[in-house]
Amino acid sequence: MLLSAKQDWLGNVRNDILAGIVVALALVPEAIAFSIIAGVDPKVGLYASFAIAVIIAIVGGRAGMISAATAATALLMVTLVKDHGLQYLLVATILAGVLQIVAGYLNLHKFMSFISKSVMTGFLNALAILIFMAQLPELTNVTWHVYALTATGLGIIYLFPYVPKIGQLLPSPLVNIVVLTLIVYVFDIQVRTIGDMGDLPDTLPIFLWPDVPFNFETLSIIFPYSISIAIVGLLESLMTANVIDELTDTESDKKRECKGQGIANIGSGLIGGMAGCAMIGQSIINVKSGGRGRLSTMTAGILLLILVVFLSDILSIVPMAALVAVMIMVSIGTFNWLSIKELKTNPVSASSVMVATVIVVVWTHNLAFGVFTGILIGSLFMAQRLSQYLLVESAYEENTDTRTYHVIGQVFFNSSDRFIGFFDFKEAVDKIVIDVHRAHFWDITGVAALDKVVIKLRREGADVSIIGLNEASETLLDKFAVHDKPDEVEKMMGEH
Amino acid sequence: MSMTKNGFILAGVDGSELGDAVIDYAIWLSKKGPAPLNLLHTIEHSHHSEQVHHEGNLTPNIKEHLLDELSDEERMESKQLIAEGKHILNQAKQKAEDAGVVDLIAKQRHGTLPEALIDLQSELAMVVIGSKGQDHSGEAKGLGTQLEAAIRVVSKPIFIVKYGFTEPKKLMFAYNGSPTSLKALNLLKREALFHDGLEVHVVSVSKNLREAENLVEDAKATLKEANIDVIGQALTGDSLSFLTQYQQDNAIDITMMGAFSHGKLHGFIFGSFTTQMLLESKTQFLLVR
Repeated sequence: MLLSAKQDWLGNVRNDILAGIVVALALVPEAIAFSIIAGVDPKVGLYASFAIAVIIAIVGGRAGMISAATAATALLMVTLVKDHGLQYLLVATILAGVLQIVAGYLNLHKFMSFISKSVMTGFLNALAILIFMAQLPELTNVTWHVYALTATGLGIIYLFPYVPKIGQLLPSPLVNIVVLTLIVYVFDIQVRTIGDMGDLPDTLPIFLWPDVPFNFETLSIIFPYSISIAIVGLLESLMTANVIDELTDTESDKKRECKGQGIANIGSGLIGGMAGCAMIGQSIINVKSGGRGRLSTMTAGILLLILVVFLSDILSIVPMAALVAVMIMVSIGTFNWLSIKELKTNPVSASSVMVATVIVVVWTHNLAFGVFTGILIGSLFMAQRLSQYLLVESAYEENTDTRTYHVIGQVFFNSSDRFIGFFDFKEAVDKIVIDVHRAHFWDITGVAALDKVVIKLRREGADVSIIGLNEASETLLDKFAVHDKPDEVEKMMGEH
Repeated sequence: MSMTKNGFILAGVDGSELGDAVIDYAIWLSKKGPAPLNLLHTIEHSHHSEQVHHEGNLTPNIKEHLLDELSDEERMESKQLIAEGKHILNQAKQKAEDAGVVDLIAKQRHGTLPEALIDLQSELAMVVIGSKGQDHSGEAKGLGTQLEAAIRVVSKPIFIVKYGFTEPKKLMFAYNGSPTSLKALNLLKREALFHDGLEVHVVSVSKNLREAENLVEDAKATLKEANIDVIGQALTGDSLSFLTQYQQDNAIDITMMGAFSHGKLHGFIFGSFTTQMLLESKTQFLLVR
């Protein structure tokens, strides 16, 4: 443990610090943009990003992942801020943190296995669309200057890296900000600037207990927001952790990450920051910049605070167009463009799960609803497909006037009707044998279907006997698993 | 019943200066067992990306591109490491074959040795490793950083090679009556591998001579049940200095003892006795967990 902790912090010092600097420069515009989404002063997002990045660097479960104020969580706060104000947001942030810590202790990260690739793609695409949509207010009812500036900004972001030598040295989103600010300042163009959006930090953050009445009414106001924030925060954080795991071919501690996100949010709320979570785009930028360790996240957080506190005067004259350009870049980078091409090649079930996830998110502005929808639809498809794994063969023996049904496969809620349909209730025979030893009854609906069949056949006057019911109903137990029963594996896999 | 019936002897092979001795002892143990021998080389990845981009922007499908780029880069390095390891491993394998080991497997695994030991735990009967790996070659004293980690994760006996190979003749068993040393005593009694053809010395050091004598008598009696005759010695005073002195005076080849009977915290604060013994002893080591 100690060995790996040392490795996490000091295994990659030079690259971590450089990557942390790149990330900090990109975090500033994002934190401001997400504050604007949530409807709070830029300083709320900036303090949050500082607190979350620094705390998660220490207590997080995934080294090299960047957490800060995010769009996913900011989108959930809009109505809370509008109806009740900042103080309620702060206390909701703290409560979300507490809920995340509880989720960590309850091992809820294990439920991530229910999130299929299609749901994850849908999540990211929806997030990208929402980030883009959040920029639209800055692009409507404005003069042509704003469009020109935004286009210039995007041009710089994507083309500056191709400039020989310096292109690889300076982060292009920063160059965009500097150049657009200079243009606006020098030519005295009248466009909206960050300073118009609210207060920027002018001091270091201080510890403050949110100023709200501590009673049941407050709880009932904030709880729905806190639970949404907690869920969405964990979803994006764990998904991002998976992405970083994959990119770096290393493992992360998901349980620790859940608890870490909680601690980070509590810390953020206590210094006047909004809730956040892991940021998929920034984490990828970090890895691309060579960041692998905890030091890069720590550097990003500390540098961000230093930058904004000491440069708040300069920041306030940065045109919003520069920020919009950065956010459009984030949106483009978050969207999975391959998924559009894959709509044609992937199975319809996969595509519809992805599209449904996107639609529900864009409709509700809540990523959690989209994910639940995706999981639900995906599960229905799965149940539909599994119900095809059922076959009943039958044989008739004339001497004894016996009809034998051999049931093979999975009997559960979705296949029970098909199961019943295999039996010929009109056939008049003396004896009927139902052999279920190669079948699995997964739920009480399946068992009820068998009961129904037996009763119906008995009514017709046949002697009904069932073979192998004990084996077939083992699967009824919630804890049923085949991993330690080689025979069961054979039975489930080999015969269908 | 032999413990080696249900598992193999695993030898951690690397290119360090003790590498040859590790293989020699593993061969010696494997033939003595007899037990199958598994030569294992671990490929440790400490990849540092060379291709670092500081342009800081997010381009379309950046994740996919980055994944391709990073995996290409690491693939080259891994291939190189595997090839180097294979060379070391083949030499070790040749040596074991020449020495007449029949039941022999030579394999490579990704990750550190302790990680590999966790994964292979259930299949192995015994582990042979060097006290210092490649990273510490040339250091006069000291133990490899991975050694203690390896000792902590393995619940099977561990043979720690500190010096070059000499045919072992004398084994000293340090017995203090603790649960792990009792386990070691039973192992010594049960396994011919650990006493056959060796002169066994049972040494107990305690603050009180009577107590030490009792321990030695108990151990002697236990071993007698399996017709193992041993030389007993009871001592009082500082365990560390007396045990190391005894090793020198009697030209002991292998020291056998129960390992890390205290919790990790204890070892962290007081410096574990096992670690001190490992550092100070001028013999090979057989640790029982």
